[in-house]
Amino acid sequence: MSSTAFAILKSGYVARDTFVHRLDGRTKFLFFLWISVFNYIFYDLYVTMVSFTVVMFLAFVARIQKFVMTVLVIIVLPIILLGMGIIGGPFGFSQNRTAIAAVEVFGFTVGLYLEGTVYVSVWTSRLAVTITAALLAYVTTHPSDLAAIMLKSRLPYKFAYAFLATIQLIPILTNEITTIYQAQVSRGLNVQAKLIDRFKSIIVLMIPLTLGAINQTQIRAIALESRGFSAPVKKVMLRDPKLRASDYAVMTIIGIMTCIFIYLIWTRGLVPFMVGIQYVRPGG
Amino acid sequence: MTSQAKGSGATTVERPSGFAILQIVLIPVIAALNYVTGVIVNILKLPIFLDTWATMFGTVVAGLWVGAAGGFLYNIIMAFTLWGLPAWVWGFINIYIALITWVFWRIGWVTVKSPVKLVAAGIIVGVTNVIPVTLISWGVFGLMPTYAGTAWIYAAVLASTGDTLSASVVSSIIAEIPDKLISLVLAAVVASRMPARFTLRPPKA
Repeated sequence: MSSTAFAILKSGYVARDTFVHRLDGRTKFLFFLWISVFNYIFYDLYVTMVSFTVVMFLAFVARIQKFVMTVLVIIVLPIILLGMGIIGGPFGFSQNRTAIAAVEVFGFTVGLYLEGTVYVSVWTSRLAVTITAALLAYVTTHPSDLAAIMLKSRLPYKFAYAFLATIQLIPILTNEITTIYQAQVSRGLNVQAKLIDRFKSIIVLMIPLTLGAINQTQIRAIALESRGFSAPVKKVMLRDPKLRASDYAVMTIIGIMTCIFIYLIWTRGLVPFMVGIQYVRPGG
Repeated sequence: MTSQAKGSGATTVERPSGFAILQIVLIPVIAALNYVTGVIVNILKLPIFLDTWATMFGTVVAGLWVGAAGGFLYNIIMAFTLWGLPAWVWGFINIYIALITWVFWRIGWVTVKSPVKLVAAGIIVGVTNVIPVTLISWGVFGLMPTYAGTAWIYAAVLASTGDTLSASVVSSIIAEIPDKLISLVLAAVVASRMPARFTLRPPKA
């Protein structure tokens, strides 16, 4: 992960006034779950590419396309390049039969094969769709709404606290490690040293970070208790998100599309649109 | 929330006695530490992940369920943000890591006082962790190479066997053993440096 990826979690909620932002968090998480599940059920590049177009369109609507593209470049692009080079290439992926482009080099065939290329494209576009849908739900939902949704979903309030506290703690600890790192560099820490020395450097960075975090744990526990965290009473919510007409419209579309997908699976199988491509199971 | 020292003399405030709430508060700390370790790995340009060391640390200093919950939460956060939904299943790796760390801690292997046992425990954790890693790689990534550091091993094994499962298992072994070994050593060292006043386990009856 890069600093850009950390920046995304550091920033968390992106405040905008768009159609996606105005949707209830439950609707966005339902969409995220729904599109992720169906993308992993179908083995069809057309289905995943259409899904990807839809989620990217929504990212543009929510004006978070830069975030999304950055994350996809960091996480998905390396997997595409590795997969294409190894599985799509001449390294012995057992399903490879049809050469898309191949040349003979010293008696060896070097090139790309249709089966391996499609396999990598399907799996990586599945990842791209789920990551984009996740970011759509997470970045456009206010943290207080997230907590309210969890409590409304009857999750234990302790879990809701842990989830939100983690999101809050990540930027705090990231800032602390920057401070600790600068202090250690001023005391002679060399990040360009040999590998063994860099491994040893983990200790001098991690111990102050961890002890500082544990110290804060005790303060946080006292603060929580002073607000009656463990009190045996019904918890109230700061915000009370409600479903609106737009949420019901999105849920209706999801319902209709689910029926269409089930019909497609029933009549055309898990590869409904790709012609001449076999379903390839991982390892099979 | 706080306990007072028993016995005669001046009343002093000791460490908080509400261990249950301390442990709940520690769960997000463990998840965040797992996450922030990625920053350190980036800074030091290390060829490993280290994103389970805090799970091990939490298990050692606060118990099995704290380590497992913190590790699982880390994966939930990642799945709902940067990795995409299917990645939540990596959380089971963290539960497994917490469980096996707890077992080794119970038998006294996770301590800097016995370096040989500590290294042996780290290697065992790494080797056995290949099984759940391969299962998840099968279901989420289609046994594709996902880590550039071991991609050449994956390619070499695939070229010689034609089998993505073998390629995935071998490259996982190469990646997992040093990663889990260093993570466990790190957890044991940091736990050994913790002052007694930061104790997160309830006192034994």
